[in-house]
Amino acid sequence: MSKLTTGSFSIEDLESVQITINNIVGAAKEAVKPTKEAAEVTGPMGPTPFPSIATLRDWSFTLFDRYEPVYTPMCDQCCYCTFGPCNLEGNKRGACGLDMKGQAAREFFLRCLTGCACHSAHGRHLLNHLIDLFGEDMPINMGASNVIAPNIQLVTGLQPKTLGDLKPVMEYVEEEVGQLLATVHAGQEAAAIDYDNKAMLAGVLDHVGMEVSDIAQVTALGFPKSDPEAPLVETGMGTIDASKPVIIAIGHNVAGVTYIMDYMEGNGLTDKMEIGGLCCTAFDMTRYKREDRKAPYAKIVGTISKELKIVRSGIPDVIVLDEQCVRADLVEEGQKLKIPIIASNEKIMYGLPDRTNDDVDAIVEDLVSGKIPGCVMLDLEKLGELVPKVALKMAPIREAEGLSAIPTDEEMKALVSKCAECGECALACPEELEIPAAIAVAKGGDYSALEELHDYCVGCRRCEQVCNKEIPVLSLIEKAAQKAIAEEKGLVRAGRGQVSDPEIRAEGLNLVMGTTPGVIAIIGCSNFPAGTKDVYNIAEEFLNRNYIVAVSGCSAMDIGMYKDADGKTLYERFPGRFERGNIFNTGSCVSNAHISATCHKVAAIFASRNLSGNLAEIADYSLNRIGAVGLAWGAYSQKAAAIGTGCNMYGIPAVLGPHSGKYRRALIAKTYDDSKWKLYDSRNGSEMAIPPSPEFLITTAETWQEACVMLAKNCIRVSDNNMGRSIKLTHWMELSEKYLGVLPEDLYKFVRNEADLPLAKREMLLKMLESEHGWEIDWKKKKIISGPSIKFDVSAQPTNLKRLCKEA
Amino acid sequence: MVDTTKNTKLFTTYGVKTSKTVTTEVASKLISKAKRPLFVVGTGVLNPELLDRVVKIAKAKNIPIAATGSSMIGFVDKGVNAKYINLHALGFYLTDPNWPGFDGNGNYDTIILLGHKKYYINQVLSATKNFSDVRAISIDKSYIQNATMSFGNLSKADHIAALDEVIDLL
Ligand code: SF4
Ligand code: SF4
Ligand code: SF4
Repeated sequence: MSKLTTGSFSIEDLESVQITINNIVGAAKEAVKPTKEAAEVTGPMGPTPFPSIATLRDWSFTLFDRYEPVYTPMCDQCCYCTFGPCNLEGNKRGACGLDMKGQAAREFFLRCLTGCACHSAHGRHLLNHLIDLFGEDMPINMGASNVIAPNIQLVTGLQPKTLGDLKPVMEYVEEEVGQLLATVHAGQEAAAIDYDNKAMLAGVLDHVGMEVSDIAQVTALGFPKSDPEAPLVETGMGTIDASKPVIIAIGHNVAGVTYIMDYMEGNGLTDKMEIGGLCCTAFDMTRYKREDRKAPYAKIVGTISKELKIVRSGIPDVIVLDEQCVRADLVEEGQKLKIPIIASNEKIMYGLPDRTNDDVDAIVEDLVSGKIPGCVMLDLEKLGELVPKVALKMAPIREAEGLSAIPTDEEMKALVSKCAECGECALACPEELEIPAAIAVAKGGDYSALEELHDYCVGCRRCEQVCNKEIPVLSLIEKAAQKAIAEEKGLVRAGRGQVSDPEIRAEGLNLVMGTTPGVIAIIGCSNFPAGTKDVYNIAEEFLNRNYIVAVSGCSAMDIGMYKDADGKTLYERFPGRFERGNIFNTGSCVSNAHISATCHKVAAIFASRNLSGNLAEIADYSLNRIGAVGLAWGAYSQKAAAIGTGCNMYGIPAVLGPHSGKYRRALIAKTYDDSKWKLYDSRNGSEMAIPPSPEFLITTAETWQEACVMLAKNCIRVSDNNMGRSIKLTHWMELSEKYLGVLPEDLYKFVRNEADLPLAKREMLLKMLESEHGWEIDWKKKKIISGPSIKFDVSAQPTNLKRLCKEA
Repeated sequence: MVDTTKNTKLFTTYGVKTSKTVTTEVASKLISKAKRPLFVVGTGVLNPELLDRVVKIAKAKNIPIAATGSSMIGFVDKGVNAKYINLHALGFYLTDPNWPGFDGNGNYDTIILLGHKKYYINQVLSATKNFSDVRAISIDKSYIQNATMSFGNLSKADHIAALDEVIDLL
């Protein structure tokens, strides 16, 4: 083993001497020990390569000291073990001794861990698959960068060069996921705050797992590589040409779909049939072999909220699934409309017969005849042939039968008149939509109120399950919205992958000085409080203000659904670089790793901080100097919890939508407690007072308007220079006036001297500071004489870490 | 009088403890008697029918308003003492005995709730319900399980009528 200390080695050679996986991880860990030899190979090594639960606990606790865990339990009972169920209401302890806070923290942690497991298991599947195809020695290619795996390097200290080098990274993540999962058992951890630390580690591992996934696919599947001009992709329910046979792919793991696309290309089928996707598989289909910027033929239908809607429309002739964010009722719903369901990944098998070892034509026969409603097909080569063949055969049959769940005009009339307006559906609707009132209007033949519900409705069919009159409420809404749906055609830029090193070099200074007012990263799912337009509104607001807007996944799709008066989407109006006034889409869910990595890269490339195994220092840098805030406005998934929590550990705050209080744990600071708003100046270890921003690491907002104000405020950083601070204050004040009708009450806390105040409003603000806060103003010179509680010192080196201070 | 106590139907539950329903009479008595009341309103109060009534209730007993979400825009120039605060942060601060409140005089003993998304306010109230002694009185249209006391589920018309009764009784 001692020979394996370079961090890059061939697994095949190891297999031939039968070394177990643990040993390889051991070797990889050895490789990053801060020894002299290793330093020559990997550069200096930070203090925490391959962290386990205790390694980064000091850093989590440093964060929790200011950003206190805020628990909002979903239920006051715990029913986890057979001692229970226990009533923990009022922070009582259960039979095992765990209190309500501990239980809420455990639940939140489990969400993060599940999300992390999802992304990492996805990464593992892709990695094994791509190594099988292309070999371990395939060099990683992420575009014009030297720092190609910032999350991996930051967390493990490894700097992978080949696909094979990603294996020890995966093995490390898997080991930690096992250790973490063990702590969920009853009678393991006791302290809420320690579950919170574990959640933070799970979040960090999530970013590592995501990075492995995307590095592997960007490298091996011909995805755009740090390309700001990646092609535009058609998106929306209205883009699918239903007159052709239609394949719909749902999920997150593109491995299987690449075979379907290869088969279509090999058989001249790309213009004879449609292939569209939902959720992140859709994104990755449109990145597949598109590094040449050719417009993709694959289309994006939309998010998980559209899954039932597209099925009910009857448009798909076959549905192929892989993993994550796939509805559990697709077989039942598909069967009603003779849409065969093909499961292509072991993670979702749906109780369907496994036909992996059977002849493709025999399976086609059984599916087309309806003998089976669907099947499992794990041989991806066969999958590639099976799915198009089924679509081609099913299309004429389904067309002849006119299969759709959308009621005819006559049926619609009869259905709305059946409604007793009992209100059960409204009580069940997670979006609290006023369904009975809309149906009441529809009774008079006016479907506009029902149509309006379409964009707010997340397609969950809870309404239908409680209706005593068996009214298919969702189908009524979709019927009413047929015209709107046909017009749902947008454009989104295909995922570009990472931000490149040269882009970081060009933008780093602006970002740290604040003259680029911030990075707003709009990510996550579609459980929006008020329809899909929220994320578009927010993105447009910040693009017009010259922020950098980063997007990914389902939010990126929904942002592309709206156009300006000239018919242009935001992706056509604003370029795709990492630069102020740009919108860049990193790609699918796993491409979120590139957003956090952008912060690591600023610290490493712009500020020359050492990245390897150096998480706390880099996170400390981001928290104090990079005005980046995440927005997961429609976060529904456990993956979103993991992504956000990983960002938090990296010093990046996040705002979530109102549904996300259900994650049960936020991290919010007491803005009124001055003792929490102090840092060290690393030049001499002295204490410095700082403004209260970010004022949370993870929290929720009620409306997109409120979120805009919060995002602008929480881009303020202690490192802003005067110009940067005045730009940031301008946007915050303007947004607060625009959406809340007032100037922010606590503006004064962010002012160090008169130069921080925007010129246009300086006089008015000085007056306000004088009259409301008693600040002393020299009116001749228009200067502040006394008042501010924070000082301006552009060369201060703010840090939370005493060990980084000179004197320490 | 509108019966604000009869319909407490839920689709899902937050567990064992559920809020007591209140009549408009009891609600107004509790509001009047509170030592440190805070009127916590959500963006739903921008509905003009509600906004008008929020202002009346606040003025009747000089109650400060915590304008959460983006409701603040409704209170500009209304002659009430309203301040913006994020609802989730407020939920946390209410559990801290050392929170100086909006006026520096300390935390609140009673919060009155109106204009919220049901799922959001219930979640935020799960913090005050489990980790504080603050009394939460919901006078919203829907039954709020995690409040201390709440109106039951009401029709729009009944809800408005109930609010008017509260205003009369204050
Ligand atoms: S894990 Fe503890 S609190 Fe939960 S049911 Fe078991 S004994 Fe009760
Ligand atoms: S549950 Fe059914 S009958 Fe009752 S209001 Fe809703 S659609 Fe009408
Ligand atoms: S399908 Fe739509 S309308 Fe029905 S309960 Fe779900 S979100 Fe509400």
